[in-house]
Amino acid sequence: MKEIVTVQVGDFANFVGSHFWNFQDELLGLAGDPSADSVFKNQDLNMDVLYRTGETQQGIPSYTPRLVSINLRGSLGSMNSHGTLYTEVASTSRDVVTWTGRVSTQASEPLKRNLFLQRLYEEEEKPNINEIPGSNNDSQNEYEDKDVVECLENGVKFWTDYSKVHYHPRSLYELDGVWANIEEFNNYGIGRDSFTWAAQGEEISDRLRFFVEECDHIQGFQFIVDDSGGFSAIAAEFLENIVDEYTNIPVLLYAVQGSGSHTNLQSRKRTVSEVLHDSISFSRLSTYSKLIVPVGLPSLSKSKASRFLHIEDAKHFHSSAIYAAALHSISLPFRMVPVGPTADACSISGAVDIHGVVQMLSGQGRQNMVSVLDVAMPAPALTGGQNDLSLLEVLQPLTPQIADDVEDMLAIEHMTVHGALASEGHRASVTEVKDKVDGAFRCASTRPMFCHLSVALCPLPIPLPFPSIFGNNVGKQGELIGGQTINSSPKGSLEVHSVPMAARLRSSSVVLPLLENKLQNLQRFGIQRGAAGSELLRSWGFGMEELVEMEEMLSKMAATLRPPQLTSDSD
Amino acid sequence: MSLRVLNPNAEVLNKSAALHMTINAAKGLQDVLKTNLGPKGTIKMLVGGAGDIKLTKDGNTLLKEMQIQNPTAIMIARTAVAQDDASGDGTTSTVIFIGELMKQSERYIDEGMHPRVLVDGFDIAKRATLQFLEKFKTPVVMGGEPDKEILKMVARTTVRTKLYESLADQLTDIIVNAVLCIRKPEEDIDLFMVEIMHMRHKFDVDTRLVEGLVLDHGSRHPDMKRRAENCYILTCNVSLEYEKSEVNAGFFYSNAEQREAMVAAERRQVDERVKKIIELKNKVCSDNDSNFVVINQKGIDPPSLDLLAREGIIALRRAKRRNMERLVLACGGEAVNSVDDLTPDCLGWAGLVYEHVLGEEKYTFIENVKNPFSCTILIKGPNDHTIAQIKDAVRDGLRAVKNTLEDESVVLGAGAFEVAARQYLINEVKKTVEGRAQLGVEAFADALLVVPKTLAENSGLDTQDVIIALTGEHDKGNIVGLSLNTGEPIDPAMEGIFDNYSVKRQIINSGPVIVSQLLVVDEVIRAGRNMRKPT
Repeated sequence: MKEIVTVQVGDFANFVGSHFWNFQDELLGLAGDPSADSVFKNQDLNMDVLYRTGETQQGIPSYTPRLVSINLRGSLGSMNSHGTLYTEVASTSRDVVTWTGRVSTQASEPLKRNLFLQRLYEEEEKPNINEIPGSNNDSQNEYEDKDVVECLENGVKFWTDYSKVHYHPRSLYELDGVWANIEEFNNYGIGRDSFTWAAQGEEISDRLRFFVEECDHIQGFQFIVDDSGGFSAIAAEFLENIVDEYTNIPVLLYAVQGSGSHTNLQSRKRTVSEVLHDSISFSRLSTYSKLIVPVGLPSLSKSKASRFLHIEDAKHFHSSAIYAAALHSISLPFRMVPVGPTADACSISGAVDIHGVVQMLSGQGRQNMVSVLDVAMPAPALTGGQNDLSLLEVLQPLTPQIADDVEDMLAIEHMTVHGALASEGHRASVTEVKDKVDGAFRCASTRPMFCHLSVALCPLPIPLPFPSIFGNNVGKQGELIGGQTINSSPKGSLEVHSVPMAARLRSSSVVLPLLENKLQNLQRFGIQRGAAGSELLRSWGFGMEELVEMEEMLSKMAATLRPPQLTSDSD
Repeated sequence: MSLRVLNPNAEVLNKSAALHMTINAAKGLQDVLKTNLGPKGTIKMLVGGAGDIKLTKDGNTLLKEMQIQNPTAIMIARTAVAQDDASGDGTTSTVIFIGELMKQSERYIDEGMHPRVLVDGFDIAKRATLQFLEKFKTPVVMGGEPDKEILKMVARTTVRTKLYESLADQLTDIIVNAVLCIRKPEEDIDLFMVEIMHMRHKFDVDTRLVEGLVLDHGSRHPDMKRRAENCYILTCNVSLEYEKSEVNAGFFYSNAEQREAMVAAERRQVDERVKKIIELKNKVCSDNDSNFVVINQKGIDPPSLDLLAREGIIALRRAKRRNMERLVLACGGEAVNSVDDLTPDCLGWAGLVYEHVLGEEKYTFIENVKNPFSCTILIKGPNDHTIAQIKDAVRDGLRAVKNTLEDESVVLGAGAFEVAARQYLINEVKKTVEGRAQLGVEAFADALLVVPKTLAENSGLDTQDVIIALTGEHDKGNIVGLSLNTGEPIDPAMEGIFDNYSVKRQIINSGPVIVSQLLVVDEVIRAGRNMRKPT
């Protein structure tokens, strides 16, 4: 077994993470549920890769994510930063034992748990709720489910509002000492100002060390960072520390951004600050990782990736769900139980570890460390289906600013397909999927140089707190139903129980525009003589030398991807 | 108002409104923190929206917990936090001193005085006070054998403001011994060499000093000993786990056997390293009495642990980076980065190594070391917020002792310095100043009194009575401070109440600077947000 430790830094990263862990929790639940679909029974997936086994002070066994989550103080909503499992018995009494003088208590208004969390806690307190006899119990439950979904749809404020996972007390870290509005916490400079790594870094790295020390053989870090604000600065310091301390452990870095974080109506100053932030943050983060995957479209709802989905860009709750689903798919091969080269398990194929993926995509040839994340949610049935789309055509990018139609003969891909359906609502077997994908590659006009395919039978389970984002042509098992699209309300977790998924990481020259954009912005606003943002960068603490270094690095990254100069015009 | 033309959304506060905004912010911050001050202050329990508890009496912690948004308050808070970073204490005093200076200024400005003149007076008064501090301080000689009593008194003064008396007194001994343990002649004191470890346990009085080190992890092999005596300690930073090489092997082998061979070869390299450690063990532990402990900063995988366990070696992996340094200071020997450098000289020694298990948490104690230069303060408390509060107090105490050793002097506490300095300013300095800057000196002098006043207020005493009694004694030439129990003047030296010289100097230095900046602000311009909105 090779463990993964996950790190989530920043608000949106935690939104994504919360969905991600909900999926894992759902998988765990379904595997133990006798009434669940049989594909969930024997998944050949080793959840210990992501989870740790522990024991609370009272000796109760616990199973919690290997996770370090960093966020601002107050961003945990109604969840206690110590998690919910390891509650102290002694602390219930609020006696002050260290002081005999006066005590003044300043209690904030307790945050009310929403309907979903209330029910979660109630269920925990009486685990035998199913034993209550009564025929109308079922319908009553149904009604409640509806309420819960609706309540989440209207009122998710914190990422904990829809989290059904128990976290370890060392997992959730809150940064303190930010004396600024959260709206102003939007650039690299303020992040760098607000936190000195010396003050809080030790505690953070200590928590990470706690999870790493337990690992017999760690395969890598899955690092999700909210790239849209001051968190990049903290993440960069953290990454620098990780690279230093755990030199040979690969980091798979997702830089996520919420939709609509860049609004249009802004002053020029804000715009300069934003584009510079993007450039600086990107180059700082990529310095410390081997593989960086920028995720987050400025307008997800209008993108091709949400063809079958109804997304409201303003809701982080919505957009993060898709990104989390894609991350889940990509991470599946990391925990497939490896089988010998000859024996083929019937439910999985193509196990690979983080090191393998990082090496595959960025370790050879052009050494391109920026990968594109594509997703098909839901993945169409292999044969038949309404439009008869090939799997390869429905994969749509979640990475912003990339070129659309670029032929790249040197592209390398890592693709995961799981839970795919054959024609009539049957699950396609692993070999069927493999054959189909192979076939698709053979017919495709542009083919990558190399593609690693991982297949699993188990689809993406849709947990109750998943947002209602499915279009009404998505069926219960995620199949695409033909027929006209009536504009009724979007479907949610009550109507759709699981979804077949396909996702891939692609190392290709399509990211060239993204790199060039960051490079140009850095030059135009930061480095050129009299640049509009040079003062700003100085206030963020970057000297000219550092900027030139970043510029060089970005231009090197871009140069490897540029097609060889064609001197066609000279004949 | 030309700004309005440029940006119609901009908001401008004129001179007096701007001044009142800053003064109110400073006063507000002062009000929040002032109940903290002194051994009779109020401890604050902060309960968050999710029911999480934080317990603090530390101005620094409190400031960081607050979501301050007023720009003036942020400036003051930054100054105060910088104070803590520089000298380890005095956050509360800084904030209330700044607040008081602003309050005094408000009085004069309302009477029509120009802030500039006040600022000039502050400047003169500040320089005079610093000179006075040089004369007033009590020098302490800190040679090879420092006066432990004076160190204890300083530490006690600090810690008693954070914890109840008997606990504070117990910690005082621990703190002083810890600092003296890590102190090396002719070298700066690095407080990081005191490890602060905590354990959840019934009573807070179980806190103790471990001469040696406590690590927050244990061995990861079921067959390794849980307790060993006479241990050789190998501190190393060597990877003892199978790692994939940088070049992906996946593209070089064509069949399963080749792959196996590749893996085996790489595995062999790791085993070689383990064997070298075992060789060293066999060399030094020829007798049966001694044991061998490996503490590694890098990972050790199960096969390597197996090999080591079979030889009776205790092995810990992924030790904290800082502990590598501490281990060497505590046990001797040196940290090894490659197994090629292994010699018996690299090894440290400890009389006792044992593991303590508490639920899923494991602790490894390395004790009975010879001549240590690093030690551990093991804090025990019934719950996390209690532990955190004791930890804060211990940190403050450590800083206070370190400051004393470095300053080679202390200052009489209990408000004695503030009263003496005030009398000096009023009776002597003020006369030498010409013109209206005199009033600035007077304002500064009165502001100094905020420390004894607040101490009295927090103890439930009448501030007027106290100040009259204290100044009266000072005018007679007796240096006295305030007894918080009786309200009578006392001699702080007799009671053993001493403050850090560097902390006091820092407060006198930084307070007036920030106040001067704030006072000369005559317009506040903000484009976009409404600043009069209550925060």
